[in-house]
Amino acid sequence: MNDEFYLFRGCLIPTRLPFLERSSLLVLDRLGIRHELLPGATCCVEPIGLRSLALDTWLVVAARMLSIAESGGKDILTLCNGCYVSLKEARHALESREERDRVNSILAELGMEYKGKADVHHLCGIVKDMESRVRSCVVRPQQDFRVAVHPGCHIVRPSAVTGIDSRFSPHVLSDIAKWVGSEVAYSEDWPKCCGGGISGINEEISARVLEDSVSDFRNAGANSILTPCPFCFAQFDLKQKEGLPVLYLSELLALSFGASPESIGMKYHRTKVVF
Amino acid sequence: MDPSLPDALRKVLPEMDLWKCHQCGQCSGVCPSFQHGGIRTREIIERASVGALELSKEPSIWLCMMCQGCTERCQLGVDPATVITLIRNLAAEVGNRPDHFAEEARLFIDTGLSFPKTGLTKKLRKEMGLDELEVDPSSLEDLKVIVGITRLGRVKLER
Repeated sequence: MNDEFYLFRGCLIPTRLPFLERSSLLVLDRLGIRHELLPGATCCVEPIGLRSLALDTWLVVAARMLSIAESGGKDILTLCNGCYVSLKEARHALESREERDRVNSILAELGMEYKGKADVHHLCGIVKDMESRVRSCVVRPQQDFRVAVHPGCHIVRPSAVTGIDSRFSPHVLSDIAKWVGSEVAYSEDWPKCCGGGISGINEEISARVLEDSVSDFRNAGANSILTPCPFCFAQFDLKQKEGLPVLYLSELLALSFGASPESIGMKYHRTKVVF
Repeated sequence: MDPSLPDALRKVLPEMDLWKCHQCGQCSGVCPSFQHGGIRTREIIERASVGALELSKEPSIWLCMMCQGCTERCQLGVDPATVITLIRNLAAEVGNRPDHFAEEARLFIDTGLSFPKTGLTKKLRKEMGLDELEVDPSSLEDLKVIVGITRLGRVKLER
Protein backbone atom coordinates (compact mmCIF):
# COMPACT_ATOMS: atom_id res chain seq x y z
CA MET A 1 0.00 0.00 0.00
CA ASN A 2 2.64 2.52 -0.86
CA ASP A 3 2.29 4.17 -4.25
CA GLU A 4 -0.85 6.15 -3.53
CA PHE A 5 -1.78 7.81 -0.27
CA TYR A 6 -4.65 9.23 1.67
CA LEU A 7 -3.55 12.75 2.50
CA PHE A 8 -4.38 13.66 6.08
CA ARG A 9 -4.11 17.42 6.49
CA GLY A 10 -4.72 17.63 10.22
CA CYS A 11 -6.05 20.82 11.82
CA LEU A 12 -3.32 23.41 12.22
CA ILE A 13 -2.20 23.56 8.58
CA PRO A 14 -5.65 23.78 6.95
CA THR A 15 -7.09 26.25 9.50
CA ARG A 16 -4.23 28.59 10.32
CA LEU A 17 -1.49 27.88 7.80
CA PRO A 18 -3.25 27.07 4.51
CA PHE A 19 -0.26 28.38 2.59
CA LEU A 20 1.67 25.35 3.86
CA GLU A 21 -1.05 23.13 2.41
CA ARG A 22 -0.58 24.93 -0.93
CA SER A 23 3.17 24.29 -1.06
CA SER A 24 2.71 20.71 0.15
CA LEU A 25 0.26 19.96 -2.66
CA LEU A 26 2.67 21.48 -5.16
CA VAL A 27 5.54 19.33 -3.87
CA LEU A 28 3.47 16.12 -3.86
CA ASP A 29 2.39 16.78 -7.44
CA ARG A 30 5.89 17.62 -8.70
CA LEU A 31 7.32 14.53 -7.05
CA GLY A 32 4.58 12.41 -8.59
CA ILE A 33 3.24 11.29 -5.21
CA ARG A 34 -0.37 10.33 -5.88
CA HIS A 35 -2.84 11.26 -3.19
CA GLU A 36 -6.44 11.95 -2.34
CA LEU A 37 -7.97 13.34 0.85
CA LEU A 38 -8.73 10.82 3.59
CA PRO A 39 -12.53 10.50 3.61
CA GLY A 40 -14.23 11.16 6.94
CA ALA A 41 -11.14 12.82 8.45
CA THR A 42 -11.34 14.60 11.81
CA CYS A 43 -8.61 15.80 14.17
CA CYS A 44 -6.14 12.92 14.76
CA VAL A 45 -6.65 13.69 18.42
CA GLU A 46 -3.97 16.24 19.01
CA PRO A 47 -1.35 14.41 21.08
CA ILE A 48 -0.31 17.01 23.67
CA GLY A 49 -3.50 18.49 25.11
CA LEU A 50 -6.49 16.58 23.83
CA ARG A 51 -4.91 13.14 24.22
CA SER A 52 -3.92 14.11 27.75
CA LEU A 53 -7.59 14.51 28.64
CA ALA A 54 -8.71 11.12 27.41
CA LEU A 55 -6.41 8.39 26.16
CA ASP A 56 -9.20 6.00 25.27
CA THR A 57 -10.98 8.66 23.16
CA TRP A 58 -7.72 9.26 21.31
CA LEU A 59 -7.23 5.58 20.57
CA VAL A 60 -10.72 5.01 19.18
CA VAL A 61 -10.73 8.20 17.08
CA ALA A 62 -7.32 7.35 15.61
CA ALA A 63 -8.36 3.74 15.02
CA ARG A 64 -11.46 4.96 13.20
CA MET A 65 -9.33 6.86 10.69
CA LEU A 66 -6.83 4.05 10.31
CA SER A 67 -9.73 1.72 9.61
CA ILE A 68 -11.13 4.09 6.95
CA ALA A 69 -7.70 4.13 5.29
CA GLU A 70 -7.39 0.36 5.32
CA SER A 71 -10.86 -0.08 3.80
CA GLY A 72 -9.69 2.14 0.94
CA GLY A 73 -6.46 0.18 0.60
CA LYS A 74 -4.10 3.12 1.07
CA ASP A 75 -1.60 4.29 3.67
CA ILE A 76 -1.98 7.69 5.35
CA LEU A 77 0.34 10.60 4.56
CA THR A 78 0.52 13.37 7.16
CA LEU A 79 2.05 16.85 7.00
CA CYS A 80 2.35 17.29 10.76
CA ASN A 81 4.56 15.78 13.47
CA GLY A 82 1.58 15.78 15.84
CA CYS A 83 -0.72 13.85 13.51
CA TYR A 84 2.15 11.53 12.68
CA VAL A 85 2.94 10.58 16.27
CA SER A 86 -0.72 10.40 17.26
CA LEU A 87 -1.61 7.93 14.49
CA LYS A 88 1.67 6.03 14.74
CA GLU A 89 1.35 5.58 18.50
CA ALA A 90 -2.23 4.42 18.03
CA ARG A 91 -1.05 1.74 15.59
CA HIS A 92 1.54 0.71 18.13
CA ALA A 93 -0.96 0.54 21.00
CA LEU A 94 -3.36 -1.46 18.83
CA GLU A 95 -0.80 -4.21 18.38
CA SER A 96 -2.05 -5.40 21.76
CA ARG A 97 -4.84 -7.91 21.19
CA GLU A 98 -6.69 -6.68 24.26
CA GLU A 99 -6.63 -3.01 23.18
CA ARG A 100 -7.65 -3.95 19.67
CA ASP A 101 -10.65 -5.94 20.85
CA ARG A 102 -11.75 -3.17 23.17
CA VAL A 103 -11.44 -0.53 20.42
CA ASN A 104 -13.15 -2.75 17.87
CA SER A 105 -16.11 -3.26 20.18
CA ILE A 106 -16.65 0.51 20.03
CA LEU A 107 -15.89 0.81 16.30
CA ALA A 108 -18.49 -1.90 15.69
CA GLU A 109 -21.15 0.61 16.74
CA LEU A 110 -20.02 2.71 13.76
CA GLY A 111 -19.95 -0.30 11.47
CA MET A 112 -16.15 -0.28 11.32
CA GLU A 113 -13.31 -2.60 12.23
CA TYR A 114 -9.59 -1.98 12.75
CA LYS A 115 -7.31 -4.67 11.34
CA GLY A 116 -4.01 -2.81 11.26
CA LYS A 117 -3.29 -2.89 7.54
CA ALA A 118 -2.81 0.81 6.76
CA ASP A 119 0.45 2.41 7.81
CA VAL A 120 1.16 6.08 8.50
CA HIS A 121 3.85 8.24 6.88
CA HIS A 122 5.11 11.78 7.29
CA LEU A 123 5.96 13.93 4.27
CA CYS A 124 9.55 14.05 5.55
CA GLY A 125 9.73 10.25 5.66
CA ILE A 126 8.41 9.92 2.10
CA VAL A 127 10.72 12.57 0.64
CA LYS A 128 13.80 11.08 2.32
CA ASP A 129 13.61 8.06 0.01
CA MET A 130 13.32 10.16 -3.16
CA GLU A 131 16.75 11.73 -3.51
CA SER A 132 17.12 11.38 -7.26
CA ARG A 133 13.57 12.53 -7.93
CA VAL A 134 14.01 15.56 -5.67
CA ARG A 135 17.34 16.48 -7.27
CA SER A 136 15.86 16.19 -10.76
CA CYS A 137 13.03 18.60 -9.84
CA VAL A 138 15.35 21.36 -8.59
CA VAL A 139 15.39 24.24 -11.04
CA ARG A 140 16.28 27.01 -8.61
CA PRO A 141 18.85 25.88 -6.02
CA GLN A 142 18.25 27.60 -2.69
CA GLN A 143 21.81 28.65 -1.95
CA ASP A 144 20.93 31.74 0.03
CA PHE A 145 19.56 29.76 2.95
CA ARG A 146 21.91 28.76 5.76
CA VAL A 147 19.39 26.70 7.65
CA ALA A 148 19.24 25.52 11.22
CA VAL A 149 17.58 22.15 10.97
CA HIS A 150 14.82 21.52 13.51
CA PRO A 151 13.11 18.11 13.04
CA GLY A 152 10.74 18.61 15.99
CA CYS A 153 10.25 16.04 18.72
CA HIS A 154 7.82 13.64 17.13
CA ILE A 155 9.74 12.85 13.99
CA VAL A 156 12.13 10.93 16.24
CA ARG A 157 10.42 10.32 19.59
CA PRO A 158 9.32 7.88 20.81
CA SER A 159 11.88 6.06 18.66
CA ALA A 160 10.22 2.72 19.33
CA VAL A 161 7.28 4.00 17.27
CA THR A 162 8.38 6.72 14.83
CA GLY A 163 11.39 5.54 12.86
CA ILE A 164 11.87 8.28 10.24
CA ASP A 165 15.33 9.22 11.48
CA SER A 166 17.90 8.30 14.11
CA ARG A 167 17.11 9.51 17.62
CA PHE A 168 20.63 10.90 18.13
CA SER A 169 22.03 13.24 15.47
CA PRO A 170 19.19 12.86 12.97
CA HIS A 171 20.25 13.69 9.43
CA VAL A 172 17.23 13.29 7.12
CA LEU A 173 16.21 16.94 7.08
CA SER A 174 19.83 18.10 6.60
CA ASP A 175 20.18 15.72 3.66
CA ILE A 176 17.06 17.11 2.00
CA ALA A 177 18.23 20.71 2.54
CA LYS A 178 21.54 19.88 0.85
CA TRP A 179 19.82 18.18 -2.11
CA VAL A 180 18.13 21.49 -2.94
CA GLY A 181 21.33 23.50 -2.60
CA SER A 182 20.96 25.01 0.87
CA GLU A 183 23.72 25.14 3.43
CA VAL A 184 23.15 23.50 6.81
CA ALA A 185 24.50 25.85 9.48
CA TYR A 186 23.27 23.89 12.49
CA SER A 187 21.76 20.54 13.14
CA GLU A 188 20.47 19.39 16.52
CA ASP A 189 22.13 16.35 18.06
CA TRP A 190 19.14 15.80 20.30
CA PRO A 191 16.05 17.22 18.60
CA LYS A 192 14.88 20.01 20.81
CA CYS A 193 11.42 21.02 21.86
CA CYS A 194 10.11 24.32 20.43
CA GLY A 195 8.12 25.01 23.61
CA GLY A 196 4.83 24.89 21.69
CA GLY A 197 3.38 22.19 23.95
CA ILE A 198 2.67 24.61 26.77
CA SER A 199 1.95 27.66 24.66
CA GLY A 200 -1.38 28.77 26.11
CA ILE A 201 -0.62 27.08 29.45
CA ASN A 202 2.54 28.83 30.62
CA GLU A 203 3.84 31.45 28.18
CA GLU A 204 6.94 32.21 30.20
CA ILE A 205 8.36 28.68 30.21
CA SER A 206 7.24 28.18 26.62
CA ALA A 207 9.16 31.30 25.53
CA ARG A 208 12.31 30.26 27.41
CA VAL A 209 12.31 26.80 25.84
CA LEU A 210 11.89 28.42 22.43
CA GLU A 211 14.78 30.80 23.12
CA ASP A 212 17.02 27.85 24.11
CA SER A 213 16.63 26.44 20.60
CA VAL A 214 16.85 29.67 18.68
CA SER A 215 19.92 30.99 20.50
CA ASP A 216 21.84 27.90 19.34
CA PHE A 217 20.67 28.54 15.78
CA ARG A 218 21.77 32.18 15.88
CA ASN A 219 25.15 31.40 17.42
CA ALA A 220 25.83 28.91 14.65
CA GLY A 221 25.27 31.61 12.02
CA ALA A 222 21.97 30.30 10.62
CA ASN A 223 19.83 32.77 8.67
CA SER A 224 16.70 30.62 8.73
CA ILE A 225 15.10 27.58 10.37
CA LEU A 226 13.88 24.49 8.51
CA THR A 227 11.22 22.28 10.09
CA PRO A 228 8.77 19.58 8.96
CA CYS A 229 6.35 20.36 11.81
CA PRO A 230 3.59 22.99 11.58
CA PHE A 231 3.44 23.37 15.38
CA CYS A 232 7.14 24.21 15.50
CA PHE A 233 6.62 26.43 12.44
CA ALA A 234 3.89 28.40 14.20
CA GLN A 235 5.93 28.72 17.38
CA PHE A 236 9.02 30.00 15.51
CA ASP A 237 7.03 32.23 13.18
CA LEU A 238 4.84 33.88 15.82
CA LYS A 239 6.68 33.74 19.11
CA GLN A 240 10.29 34.72 18.50
CA LYS A 241 11.13 38.25 19.51
CA GLU A 242 13.73 39.19 16.95
CA GLY A 243 13.32 36.13 14.96
CA LEU A 244 14.95 34.03 12.35
CA PRO A 245 12.53 33.31 9.52
CA VAL A 246 11.25 29.75 9.41
CA LEU A 247 10.59 27.51 6.42
CA TYR A 248 8.32 24.50 6.51
CA LEU A 249 9.79 21.55 4.59
CA SER A 250 7.42 21.88 1.61
CA GLU A 251 8.21 25.58 1.23
CA LEU A 252 11.94 25.00 0.76
CA LEU A 253 11.22 22.19 -1.69
CA ALA A 254 8.61 24.25 -3.61
CA LEU A 255 10.97 27.22 -3.91
CA SER A 256 13.72 24.98 -5.25
CA PHE A 257 11.22 23.45 -7.70
CA GLY A 258 10.70 26.95 -9.13
CA ALA A 259 7.56 28.13 -7.30
CA SER A 260 7.46 31.86 -6.62
CA PRO A 261 7.20 32.94 -2.96
CA GLU A 262 3.91 34.70 -3.84
CA SER A 263 2.31 31.59 -5.34
CA ILE A 264 2.86 29.62 -2.12
CA GLY A 265 1.63 32.41 0.14
CA MET A 266 4.91 33.24 1.85
CA LYS A 267 3.72 36.76 2.48
CA TYR A 268 1.63 35.25 5.26
CA HIS A 269 4.69 34.49 7.35
CA ARG A 270 4.79 36.79 10.37
CA THR A 271 8.58 36.70 10.41
CA LYS A 272 9.26 37.56 6.79
CA VAL A 273 11.64 35.59 4.63
CA VAL A 274 13.75 38.10 2.71
CA PHE A 275 14.52 37.14 -0.88
CA MET B 1 -2.69 13.19 49.06
CA ASP B 2 -4.38 10.54 47.03
CA PRO B 3 -3.54 7.04 48.28
CA SER B 4 -5.80 5.49 45.65
CA LEU B 5 -3.68 6.87 42.79
CA PRO B 6 -1.30 3.91 42.41
CA ASP B 7 -4.28 1.56 42.13
CA ALA B 8 -6.04 3.87 39.71
CA LEU B 9 -2.93 3.97 37.53
CA ARG B 10 -2.59 0.20 37.68
CA LYS B 11 -6.18 -0.10 36.59
CA VAL B 12 -5.83 2.10 33.48
CA LEU B 13 -2.52 0.55 32.47
CA PRO B 14 -1.95 -2.83 34.13
CA GLU B 15 1.39 -3.49 32.43
CA MET B 16 2.77 -0.10 33.44
CA ASP B 17 6.34 -0.11 34.74
CA LEU B 18 6.08 2.90 37.03
CA TRP B 19 7.34 0.89 40.00
CA LYS B 20 10.60 0.03 38.29
CA CYS B 21 11.81 3.62 38.71
CA HIS B 22 15.15 3.92 40.55
CA GLN B 23 14.93 7.71 40.77
CA CYS B 24 18.04 8.18 38.61
CA GLY B 25 16.77 11.51 37.28
CA GLN B 26 17.58 11.11 33.58
CA CYS B 27 13.97 12.10 32.85
CA SER B 28 14.36 15.44 34.59
CA GLY B 29 17.86 15.91 33.16
CA VAL B 30 16.56 15.93 29.60
CA CYS B 31 13.29 17.77 30.35
CA PRO B 32 13.09 21.25 28.76
CA SER B 33 10.25 22.24 31.08
CA PHE B 34 12.20 21.25 34.22
CA GLN B 35 15.18 23.34 33.07
CA HIS B 36 12.98 26.42 33.37
CA GLY B 37 11.18 25.60 36.59
CA GLY B 38 8.28 23.61 35.11
CA ILE B 39 7.44 19.96 35.78
CA ARG B 40 9.69 17.88 38.08
CA THR B 41 9.27 14.55 36.35
CA ARG B 42 11.38 12.39 38.66
CA GLU B 43 9.49 13.70 41.66
CA ILE B 44 6.10 13.23 39.98
CA ILE B 45 6.97 9.59 39.22
CA GLU B 46 7.98 8.97 42.84
CA ARG B 47 4.91 10.69 44.23
CA ALA B 48 2.57 8.90 41.84
CA SER B 49 4.04 5.53 42.79
CA VAL B 50 3.21 6.05 46.46
CA GLY B 51 0.02 8.06 45.97
CA ALA B 52 1.47 11.32 47.31
CA LEU B 53 -0.06 13.48 44.62
CA GLU B 54 -3.26 15.44 44.88
CA LEU B 55 -4.88 14.82 41.51
CA SER B 56 -7.50 17.51 41.77
CA LYS B 57 -4.95 20.25 42.49
CA GLU B 58 -1.42 19.49 41.28
CA PRO B 59 -0.75 22.17 38.63
CA SER B 60 2.74 21.07 37.49
CA ILE B 61 1.47 17.99 35.61
CA TRP B 62 0.23 20.39 32.91
CA LEU B 63 3.70 21.88 32.36
CA CYS B 64 4.94 18.85 30.40
CA MET B 65 5.30 19.60 26.68
CA MET B 66 5.13 15.93 25.66
CA CYS B 67 8.48 16.08 23.87
CA GLN B 68 8.97 12.44 24.96
CA GLY B 69 12.62 13.04 25.83
CA CYS B 70 12.13 11.37 29.24
CA THR B 71 10.63 8.25 27.71
CA GLU B 72 13.51 8.10 25.25
CA ARG B 73 16.18 8.43 27.93
CA CYS B 74 14.70 6.23 30.67
CA GLN B 75 16.89 3.14 31.04
CA LEU B 76 14.26 1.14 32.89
CA GLY B 77 11.32 1.47 30.54
CA VAL B 78 9.20 3.49 32.96
CA ASP B 79 7.87 5.63 30.05
CA PRO B 80 7.35 8.81 32.09
CA ALA B 81 5.52 10.58 29.23
CA THR B 82 2.80 7.94 29.28
CA VAL B 83 2.66 7.95 33.08
CA ILE B 84 2.17 11.74 32.99
CA THR B 85 -0.51 11.36 30.31
CA LEU B 86 -2.38 8.87 32.50
CA ILE B 87 -2.06 11.09 35.55
CA ARG B 88 -3.47 13.95 33.45
CA ASN B 89 -6.37 11.74 32.36
CA LEU B 90 -7.23 10.96 35.98
CA ALA B 91 -6.74 14.58 37.05
CA ALA B 92 -8.96 15.88 34.23
CA GLU B 93 -11.73 13.58 35.41
CA VAL B 94 -11.70 15.26 38.83
CA GLY B 95 -11.68 18.75 37.35
CA ASN B 96 -7.95 19.53 37.19
CA ARG B 97 -7.31 20.56 33.57
CA PRO B 98 -6.27 23.82 31.90
CA ASP B 99 -9.14 25.83 30.37
CA HIS B 100 -7.03 25.97 27.22
CA PHE B 101 -7.34 22.20 26.69
CA ALA B 102 -11.00 22.12 27.72
CA GLU B 103 -11.71 24.71 25.04
CA GLU B 104 -9.81 22.63 22.52
CA ALA B 105 -11.88 19.59 23.49
CA ARG B 106 -15.17 21.47 23.08
CA LEU B 107 -14.06 22.63 19.64
CA PHE B 108 -13.07 19.08 18.72
CA ILE B 109 -16.44 17.66 19.75
CA ASP B 110 -18.41 20.44 18.00
CA THR B 111 -16.43 20.76 14.77
CA GLY B 112 -14.20 17.69 14.47
CA LEU B 113 -11.12 19.94 14.41
CA SER B 114 -8.97 21.16 17.28
CA PHE B 115 -8.29 24.57 15.77
CA PRO B 116 -11.05 27.02 14.84
CA LYS B 117 -12.02 27.73 11.26
CA THR B 118 -12.03 31.53 11.29
CA GLY B 119 -12.74 34.26 8.78
CA LEU B 120 -9.02 34.36 8.04
CA THR B 121 -9.04 30.60 7.40
CA LYS B 122 -11.73 31.07 4.76
CA LYS B 123 -9.94 34.03 3.18
CA LEU B 124 -6.56 32.30 3.03
CA ARG B 125 -7.99 29.04 1.71
CA LYS B 126 -9.84 30.86 -1.04
CA GLU B 127 -6.79 32.86 -1.98
CA MET B 128 -4.65 29.73 -2.09
CA GLY B 129 -7.21 27.97 -4.30
CA LEU B 130 -8.05 25.37 -1.64
CA ASP B 131 -11.37 23.73 -0.77
CA GLU B 132 -13.57 25.02 2.05
CA LEU B 133 -12.44 22.43 4.62
CA GLU B 134 -15.73 20.81 5.54
CA VAL B 135 -15.78 17.99 8.07
CA ASP B 136 -18.59 15.75 6.91
CA PRO B 137 -21.62 15.50 9.22
CA SER B 138 -21.48 11.71 9.50
CA SER B 139 -17.93 11.97 10.90
CA LEU B 140 -19.22 14.37 13.55
CA GLU B 141 -21.94 11.85 14.39
CA ASP B 142 -19.24 9.17 14.75
CA LEU B 143 -17.28 11.44 17.10
CA LYS B 144 -20.35 11.97 19.26
CA VAL B 145 -20.81 8.23 19.63
CA ILE B 146 -17.12 7.74 20.51
CA VAL B 147 -17.02 10.61 22.99
CA GLY B 148 -20.23 9.36 24.61
CA ILE B 149 -18.65 5.99 25.38
CA THR B 150 -15.11 7.08 26.25
CA ARG B 151 -13.38 9.23 28.87
CA LEU B 152 -13.66 12.57 27.07
CA GLY B 153 -17.42 12.38 27.60
CA ARG B 154 -16.82 12.32 31.36
CA VAL B 155 -14.43 15.27 31.56
CA LYS B 156 -16.08 18.49 32.70
CA LEU B 157 -15.41 20.90 29.86
CA GLU B 158 -17.35 23.94 31.02
CA ARG B 159 -15.39 26.79 32.56
